Amino acid sequence: MRICLRKVDLPLSPAPISICRMTIRTARPNRGQHFRPRTHCLNKLESIVVEMQDPKSGVKGSEQKLNVSTIPHVITGKDVIAWITNKMKTTPEEVQAFGTMLVAYGYIYPLQNHKKLVLCNDSSLYRFQTPYFWPTQKWVAEDSDYAIYLAKRNIRKKGMLEAYEQAHYSHLHDWLNHKWDFIVMQATEQYKAGKERNKPDRVVFDCQERAYWIVSRPPFGLPLSFQNIFYQQAIMRSKVKSSVSLGALTKYVTTYKNHDPFLAPCLPSNPWQTDHDAYWTCNTRRIDVPTKMRVERWSFSLFELLSDLRGRDDFKVFLKKEFSGMPPHLMRHLSNLAFWEAAEELKWGTASSMTSKAETIFKTFLAPGAPRWINIDGRTMGLTVKGLDHPHRYVLEAAQTHVFLLMKKVHVLVSNKLEQNAQNRSLGVHPVIVWQQEEEEKAKAAAASAPVDVKAMMSKIDRKK
Amino acid sequence: MGKDECKTMLDALNKVTACYRHLVIALGSTSDSQNLREELKRTRKKAQELAVANRTKLTSLLKDKSISKDDRAEYERLWVLFSSSMELLEVDMKRSLEIGQDFPIKVPTRHLIQTGMTGSTTTVAARAMSVQNMKYEADSNIDTADLRDLQSEITQMSQMMEEMEMKVQVAPWAVEAKQEAGAELKSNMSVGNSSVGVISICEEEPKEEDGGGGRDAGFASICAVLVFFVIVTVALVLGYLVINMS
Repeated sequence: MRICLRKVDLPLSPAPISICRMTIRTARPNRGQHFRPRTHCLNKLESIVVEMQDPKSGVKGSEQKLNVSTIPHVITGKDVIAWITNKMKTTPEEVQAFGTMLVAYGYIYPLQNHKKLVLCNDSSLYRFQTPYFWPTQKWVAEDSDYAIYLAKRNIRKKGMLEAYEQAHYSHLHDWLNHKWDFIVMQATEQYKAGKERNKPDRVVFDCQERAYWIVSRPPFGLPLSFQNIFYQQAIMRSKVKSSVSLGALTKYVTTYKNHDPFLAPCLPSNPWQTDHDAYWTCNTRRIDVPTKMRVERWSFSLFELLSDLRGRDDFKVFLKKEFSGMPPHLMRHLSNLAFWEAAEELKWGTASSMTSKAETIFKTFLAPGAPRWINIDGRTMGLTVKGLDHPHRYVLEAAQTHVFLLMKKVHVLVSNKLEQNAQNRSLGVHPVIVWQQEEEEKAKAAAASAPVDVKAMMSKIDRKK
Repeated sequence: MGKDECKTMLDALNKVTACYRHLVIALGSTSDSQNLREELKRTRKKAQELAVANRTKLTSLLKDKSISKDDRAEYERLWVLFSSSMELLEVDMKRSLEIGQDFPIKVPTRHLIQTGMTGSTTTVAARAMSVQNMKYEADSNIDTADLRDLQSEITQMSQMMEEMEMKVQVAPWAVEAKQEAGAELKSNMSVGNSSVGVISICEEEPKEEDGGGGRDAGFASICAVLVFFVIVTVALVLGYLVINMS
């Protein structure tokens, strides 16, 4: 659910900050449901702000005259823009966007027109925010802190709060009523403590706090009722009984406990501890005989089988070997598996290859009369085909899940077979596979997994009959 | 009585928590200094002593099964006050650890954030410690040495809070506050000329709506002064006439 906050008036759309591979895409802090922590980005922003403080190469500050006092460390918008341009050496639009984001996220706050969080490229005045009030992921701006701030402001303004502040105040008075004594006490004490400092510092402190709360509780932001949507949706989510979830957890732990290298010793030896890499060499994809533990793992679920590439290969071989004995309606699992693999490739592949892959998949698996047509229900097929008009990574997700569920039925047969063969597996060290051998095997596998023409096979079987 | 003792101790804890928060806000900015680090350390230790004292007192009061319902409700209210203070204190301690680590004092090139605050926080710390003047006696490596202490104190604090939650079964949401909305306005500190000063210093732009309020208040005081002088003049004139007549 996207929540639209007030748009920033910029000439062009704000360029996303890509200081690191994660980007911050919103010009305002995203308080919506898709809010994901961007700690790494914020750390880099913080180091840039610290660089701006350098007395020689940072942003030059000046003094501000206020009534009888002067307050140092005031910077102009155009100085900041010039510094960013010099440092980042990029287009003016991106510099403007970056500067505005610094203001919108609360690292710099405007002194005039304090509710409009933009960086103006002129002589408007700004100041740096103290590290305590920097945006962080760890310390969310709590409602109780906001209540204390509003109470303090109430004292200072002698009851004349602004409309939105008054609304928040009444709301918090209801919501945090049990803590209200504490809030009043703390607010009066903080107010008294603040008065112990000298006048210029008191002015700065009030501005800092006000700026922090404008960023964290924007005046034109979410109406209070809108925030309740989160709670309503949380209530609507299905709840599992703890007995059920605990049962599932116990089952999981019992199944997997011998396979966890932290809980059970890793055989033959843990390479990280003994520097002997036998464990890795005998669990490669192309090894002759997979280890017992590995095969046991395949019997746990189809997901384990398919996640292990060797398991996938063996599954393919199993389906092909059992061909003659298997009824024809199970032959389709070969194409199911191929479709599943192709969908995985689409998910994890490069963005540039997506359209071509999607086309191939459509032609091979989904089009009516395709050589390896998969039999999924009409509704999923319809949705998938429609989605393929504008392919994206997850366009085959529904179909892939359906196919996975179909294959699960075969998995029962597979795990039975695996258990039968379990006695023959060994735990020991096997010879190391040479790279050339691997290449040969790859070529062989490629030839063997050429698309099977189902129709030809069907006709062959008919002829046999 | 137990209740009054509790209330005094809670007030003290509340005061120290408020001062501690004020000091942590100054960390990393241009008003940061070695003195600030020492003030933080001493305020913190005082807060912890008060916390332990409060906790012992309150747990003993709450464990007593023979108290009346009203008394119990009152103690539960005090308990909620106490645990909220503790939560605030814990968060501030953790934040001071983070910021203290990010902004070390004893490095050749200090890059403190130029926030515009340049004064010292001595008076705030003195208020927390309830002394007239603070005496500073720390070594120069206080930032690194203190951070280690701080980490262990944070762990202690978290453990104490966990114990508290386990031992004392108080439902915080069931407590009813005694203060109503706007109560902070009644508990007023210095009225008079300082309040006028407070209104005018914070508004930095004359366009601000509150600036109007400030000007009105200033105008009213000027009027009052004028009226006063007029009355004094009239009184002097009358007195002169009276003297002349006699």
